[in-house]
Amino acid sequence: MRISFAKLLLLIAFFIVILVEARTVFAFFGIDVSLIGIAVTGVLVISALVLWAIRPGNDEPTEP
Amino acid sequence: MTQLFVERFPDQARLVRLAFFNSFAAFGIGALFGLIQALHRTDVLRIVESPTYYTVLTAHGVFLVITFTIFFLVGLYQWAVTTSLERRPVDMRITKAWYWLMSIGTVIAGITILAGFLDDPPEVLGSQLSADVLFTFYAPLQGNPLFYVGLVLFVVGTWLAGVDWFRTWWAWKGDNPGARIPLPTFMVLTTMIMWYISSIGVAVAILAFILPWSLGLIDSLNPTLTRTLFWYFGHPVVYFWLLPAYLLWYIVLPKLSGGRLFSDPLARVVFILFILLSTPVGIHHQYLDPGIAEGFKYIVMTNTMFLLLPSLLTAFTVVASMEHGARQRGGEGYFGWLDALPWRNPAFTGMALAGLVFAFGGFTGIVNAGMNINYLVHNSAWVPGHIHTQVGTAVALTFMAGSYWLIPQLTGNRLVWRQAALVQVLLWFIGIVFMTNSMYRAGLVGVPRRTAEPQYAFEYDVGVGSMTELDFQLALGGFLLFISAMLFLAIIFMTWRNSESEPIVDGTIPPALSGPEDSPRVLDNLRLWIAIALVLVAIAYVIPLASIVTRGGLFGPDIGPFPVFTDPMILLEYGSKLIGMVVI
Ligand code: HEM
Ligand SMILES: [Cu+2]
Repeated sequence: MRISFAKLLLLIAFFIVILVEARTVFAFFGIDVSLIGIAVTGVLVISALVLWAIRPGNDEPTEP
Repeated sequence: MTQLFVERFPDQARLVRLAFFNSFAAFGIGALFGLIQALHRTDVLRIVESPTYYTVLTAHGVFLVITFTIFFLVGLYQWAVTTSLERRPVDMRITKAWYWLMSIGTVIAGITILAGFLDDPPEVLGSQLSADVLFTFYAPLQGNPLFYVGLVLFVVGTWLAGVDWFRTWWAWKGDNPGARIPLPTFMVLTTMIMWYISSIGVAVAILAFILPWSLGLIDSLNPTLTRTLFWYFGHPVVYFWLLPAYLLWYIVLPKLSGGRLFSDPLARVVFILFILLSTPVGIHHQYLDPGIAEGFKYIVMTNTMFLLLPSLLTAFTVVASMEHGARQRGGEGYFGWLDALPWRNPAFTGMALAGLVFAFGGFTGIVNAGMNINYLVHNSAWVPGHIHTQVGTAVALTFMAGSYWLIPQLTGNRLVWRQAALVQVLLWFIGIVFMTNSMYRAGLVGVPRRTAEPQYAFEYDVGVGSMTELDFQLALGGFLLFISAMLFLAIIFMTWRNSESEPIVDGTIPPALSGPEDSPRVLDNLRLWIAIALVLVAIAYVIPLASIVTRGGLFGPDIGPFPVFTDPMILLEYGSKLIGMVVI
């Protein structure tokens, strides 16, 4: 793990929140993001985050 | 590590636990009703008939914003006074009396509301036992007299609690002449002063008008008058919910972050500003009410905007304290320190997220407060959006997070399932964003609040997405919140029973970086602040109330059983007009 489990959860929560609100913010600027679009982005971003987080860090011994 | 609260003051810990028990029981029931509403409004699942929706909504409002919040407040304040003054109440009988008055009041009002679910509620005191009057309960809605009786007992209980805390302080002052009031006690006393000044309004509304009217003793009343009296109390009450959360942010959050409160004097200034400004603003809930002159609405708008000041000061002080804590823990850089905060601690994370949501909710509050934009969002779903970010999260989530820190000290048991507790606060955060984002957006296109059938037959011109999507988002958010609420209750329940354990909390509160010695003594001169507050209240309210009464009568048009009362009001109005002319 590169970051603690707690921080991973926190980041996921933040990403979900940002995605929900971002759609509204984009709409203020006339950019309509579809529901599917935002959902797919969400899944991609969060998967990437999880993959990054569970890979062992550079300077970290490879034990759990 | 010092002794736990429960070891030092076992009887006080017991009382705080009892108060929290009532609070959390109400929270559980309220959350269930919240879920029912969320699913009903969106037509996902309907388990009650639409007319019964108002019974659900009344129970949701009353159980959450009266019972849950205020029982938590009295428990927390009892703890705060006891620990910061290091002494028990002067007379424990008073303490018990207020606890029981509040509890009995809650049971009476609660039964009256819930009886509304019966097909054929029994007749009590001359009318059906039910009170589908929503938590704002002003005329023309009328409930069974017992509902108001319950409310009165509850409020009298809170007044007595204030007396109890003042007496403890007076006794302490006798033993410590010249000493500064410890900050937690200062917060308790200032909150209670604000509460005394403001709850008079609702007491008069109930005792002089609404209760006699529901008993059939008087035939009618002046709805503008009772509404105005309600909102005279209705804005300060939101600070009655919020200030206990502020107490936790100022006193506990810096410590959890690993540091100390940045400034004790700033905290005192903030609480004094609330004494001064929280009451002369109530008319901002009545921007759309006829019968109140625009000029007075303008004055309250100005006062309301000034109220941003204490909240901005709080944001500054609390974030500065957190940053100080993070740097003590080795955090570095402009933003890098954020990483050093104790995010795995649910008590910390919950409070920090609550504060964040509060900041964003505050911006929506500015929209509500602006006289002209208010017309856009008034009575729309936007308003429950605002309510849930503020009392429903800034306050409720802070209380939940604070409980994770307090309950071990009150029970002597270790908190169970720490990771689940972290998931719980995060789930609330996500749920509230789903739900309130949908409410805000729906409100902007005119979807009304307080209705089981928000769609009627309209096609709303939803800016982004569709009504179906907004509904889905609301239902999903409500569901996540409900799960989070149940998880919270389970964790607290299991901790309560986890008696075979030693808690791992340290209840000591480190002194502030800039302590009370840096603050001018005048801040502790409570009499002065009360006097100024009363003057501001008079400026904001005397003339509007007088003109409401002269125009609509004390008990409604043409019904003036006591002309003796109205005459001085007329005189007063003419008097003030005269003064106005002279000044101009
Ligand atoms: C389980 C989580 C919750 C859910 C699902 C929920 C859901 C709802 C919904 C859908 C409404 C709008 C009803 C309408 O206008 O027709 C509402 C109103 C309201 N909620 Fe919640 N809520 C929850 C938690 C809370 C909490 C924790 C508080 C406060 C501590 C709160 C306070 C209120 C208030 C004051 C209203 C307005 C009542 C009225 O208009 O009379 N809710 N809630
Ligand atoms: Cu208000």
